[in-house]
Amino acid sequence: MKRFQCCFLFVGAMAWGQGLDFSGRTNLPAGIDMSGTWYPQAFQDSGLITASGALVEYGGIPVNEAGRLYALAWNAARIQGRQHQCMGYTVPYTYNQPGNLRFWEERDPFTQQLIAIKHYWQISEGTRTIWMDDRPHPPAYAQHTWSGFSTGKYEGNTLTVYTTHLKRGWIRANGLAQSDEATVTEHFIRHGDRITYLAIVNDPVYLAEPFSRTYTLGRNVKEPDTWLYACDDGEQILGRREDQVESYTWGRHPFLREFADKNKMPLLATLGGPETMYPEIQAKFKDPQAMEAAAKAELTPSPGAPHASRAADPNPHDGEIHVLPVQGNLYMLVGDGGNIAVQIGDQAPLVVNSGAGQLTAKVIAAIRKLSEKPIQFIVNTNFGADYTGGNVQLRAAGHDPSVEGSFFSGQFADAGHGATIIGHQNVQNHLLALQKPAEGQPSDTFLEGRRRKFHNGEAVEIFYEPNATTDSDSIVHFRRSDVIATGDLFSTTAYPGIDVKNGGSIQGEVAALNHILDRTVYQHDEEGGTLIIPGHGRLCDEWEVAEYRDMLVIIRDRVQDLIQNGATLEKVKAARVTADYDDRFGANSGPWTTDMFVEAVFTSLKNPPKTARPNGR
Amino acid sequence: MVEPTETMKNRAMPRLLRRNARLALAVSLGLIAATSAYSQGRGGPPGPPKTAKAAALYDLTGYWVSVVTEDWRFRMVTPPKGDYTGVMLNAQGRKMADAWDPAKDEAAGEQCKSYGAPNLMRVPGRLHITWQDEQTLKIEADAGQQTRVLHFAAAEEQDSSWQGFSKALWEMVPVGRGVTPVGSLKVVTTHLKPGYLRKNGVPYSANATLTEYFDRVSEPNGDAYLVVSTTVEDPVYLAQPFLTASHYRKQADAKGWNPAPCSAR
Repeated sequence: MKRFQCCFLFVGAMAWGQGLDFSGRTNLPAGIDMSGTWYPQAFQDSGLITASGALVEYGGIPVNEAGRLYALAWNAARIQGRQHQCMGYTVPYTYNQPGNLRFWEERDPFTQQLIAIKHYWQISEGTRTIWMDDRPHPPAYAQHTWSGFSTGKYEGNTLTVYTTHLKRGWIRANGLAQSDEATVTEHFIRHGDRITYLAIVNDPVYLAEPFSRTYTLGRNVKEPDTWLYACDDGEQILGRREDQVESYTWGRHPFLREFADKNKMPLLATLGGPETMYPEIQAKFKDPQAMEAAAKAELTPSPGAPHASRAADPNPHDGEIHVLPVQGNLYMLVGDGGNIAVQIGDQAPLVVNSGAGQLTAKVIAAIRKLSEKPIQFIVNTNFGADYTGGNVQLRAAGHDPSVEGSFFSGQFADAGHGATIIGHQNVQNHLLALQKPAEGQPSDTFLEGRRRKFHNGEAVEIFYEPNATTDSDSIVHFRRSDVIATGDLFSTTAYPGIDVKNGGSIQGEVAALNHILDRTVYQHDEEGGTLIIPGHGRLCDEWEVAEYRDMLVIIRDRVQDLIQNGATLEKVKAARVTADYDDRFGANSGPWTTDMFVEAVFTSLKNPPKTARPNGR
Repeated sequence: MVEPTETMKNRAMPRLLRRNARLALAVSLGLIAATSAYSQGRGGPPGPPKTAKAAALYDLTGYWVSVVTEDWRFRMVTPPKGDYTGVMLNAQGRKMADAWDPAKDEAAGEQCKSYGAPNLMRVPGRLHITWQDEQTLKIEADAGQQTRVLHFAAAEEQDSSWQGFSKALWEMVPVGRGVTPVGSLKVVTTHLKPGYLRKNGVPYSANATLTEYFDRVSEPNGDAYLVVSTTVEDPVYLAQPFLTASHYRKQADAKGWNPAPCSAR
């Protein structure tokens, strides 16, 4: 036996020496394994560590007009808001943090193939996964996170990583935003105990050109511990209103020149833009007067029509219904107008909204795959065609055994024949006025407050949100699953469709969003926990709702300011009060344009509704 | 039928191994013979070593423009005197930085003190990289009209200069067998004239050693970037090594190439 073992070892050694590899894989350069603890080296940009920078310090960042205006409006007091106190760190901003990063590999225990490279970053307790197994990125309607969805591959001595599905974060925490449409390519180049990191950010919303930048990480063998980051939000200012979102008025930034003056540089240079990344900008420094004139033009929106959104539409528009598991009992159906939420369980499905009615047969087929039982309840969150278009067919495909054989049967011969449609009374009123078929209207209505049920093993609360996009809005909270379907109140694709003629108002819209935020709890650092199914767009959590609320409050305040100064609607439109958000949410054509939205804000501020929740709540 | 116990299985194993030992030996000898023959056929008699140009792991030649997104306020404008944030100077280094006088440098004809090799890659500008010969890579910078020469084979020069003497090699990374060789261009520069790490007089001495890695990465859209990882060690003025990383984007041509003399201010 010993002779056999010796012989085998000898053979193995000889074979290795001859160039054979017994590892089972040959695609990894062993010299760039990054496992271990690394620490960001703060030699360059050390003044930006924890990544704030000074106010109006944007030099070298290729912001476009929207990015610059977003930053110029940003007021540091905004981080006193609950949802901003524990904001997570996104890529590549997080590599500027003062804390350890611990890298490790995840390998298949049976094949030892590399599945993923992971790392934990101390600041904000972020854990990032870089998938190395060629898996595809999720669909556009899937949730975004601080670390996004990353796939990697080795290229020479470099680990190259591509990341999508990032939350809106910072390029710098001085107001320079990186939008949730950004994608990032990163290169980790290892030289011994040093990693040089190059990130290239492509952001169609806030950048005019790709933003590339480097960081340096050094191996930390002496103090490899990675700490926790305990962050819970609290009342930083007592009595702060929920609809209070601080911002600076363009052209009236109180610290506009502070950084420029301190560092003896022209204001224009500090305002950023692609030209500030390249050597040619230095020649312009020689003409301070021209630079000053050019700087003034950068401080307010350029004249002209609002920009249209540069964001990709998360709806596949491929004629199919796509099913996304949410959490608990909930699924999100995408593809037919507004999103549809489906709750399943021991009882029959409860569905929130019925889509536009173009693909209802496929909606029904998709729901049947989730549950063999016929749909029992349909909740309409408002009367819009994108949410009620499939009511008739969906109802017909359902069955409500809870009313069959009950006293309802004596009153209605068809009781239980079909799903029961639930909605605020105004949904029924509007559909009636629109002469929609009776079988597509809610038969189970409520007037104020909430309608509640216990269904499929959890509490389901339907809250009326008065005078929001219309006078018929509701949200649906699945308490055990911890999912809220918002209907038209919240979207990741457009400004809210505030229909003033049908009872909508900016005041009610803000109040409704704050009501949603009153009911959400994040799992960790503004991520996870309560999940949000928007009327249109991707699956979200409270961070996106808070961002949407902030945007609407800021725009509301700008319009209010102009109204107080006597501006007409035309002047308000010309002021481009939405210029920092148009590249994300704007539209110049289609059923809901930026101009229509601004007009709705203007009109509802001029004629406030009487029934919206008070004080933004 | 009786199920075999663990003890029975363990006793059986040596018998199985003995039974197969001869077969294993034969297979092993066959493997040696096969791999030996493969090795002979692949390698053959050793030829002359490849030149640095022929052994290049990637192509660095062409025009590159600096993308100044890091340390912007120290690079695009001349920072105020005494601002050496991020550079771990010792007391002597701080004293030197606080005494910075650009007029004095101009009077001494030393306007190029911030264009020496330890800072040249940080200066906004363009590079033109070419192979001077089979063993020498040349980096011309339009800013300050400086030229760096990276020697893969030449004997070390003793004279000091702004760009010093740069010794270069393709440093290979250990890889799995059968994998295409990977690595980086490593450059170590010594024999430097004393100069500045930043334009506002943050000093390095004649004893400074500059270690650099030049890497090239590509983007899906076709953009190529040159990434220069730099470590400056200086026992005279630095309390610890100074690390930076600068990057350049590849240009199709010489557009923007604008040779300009050194400026002390």
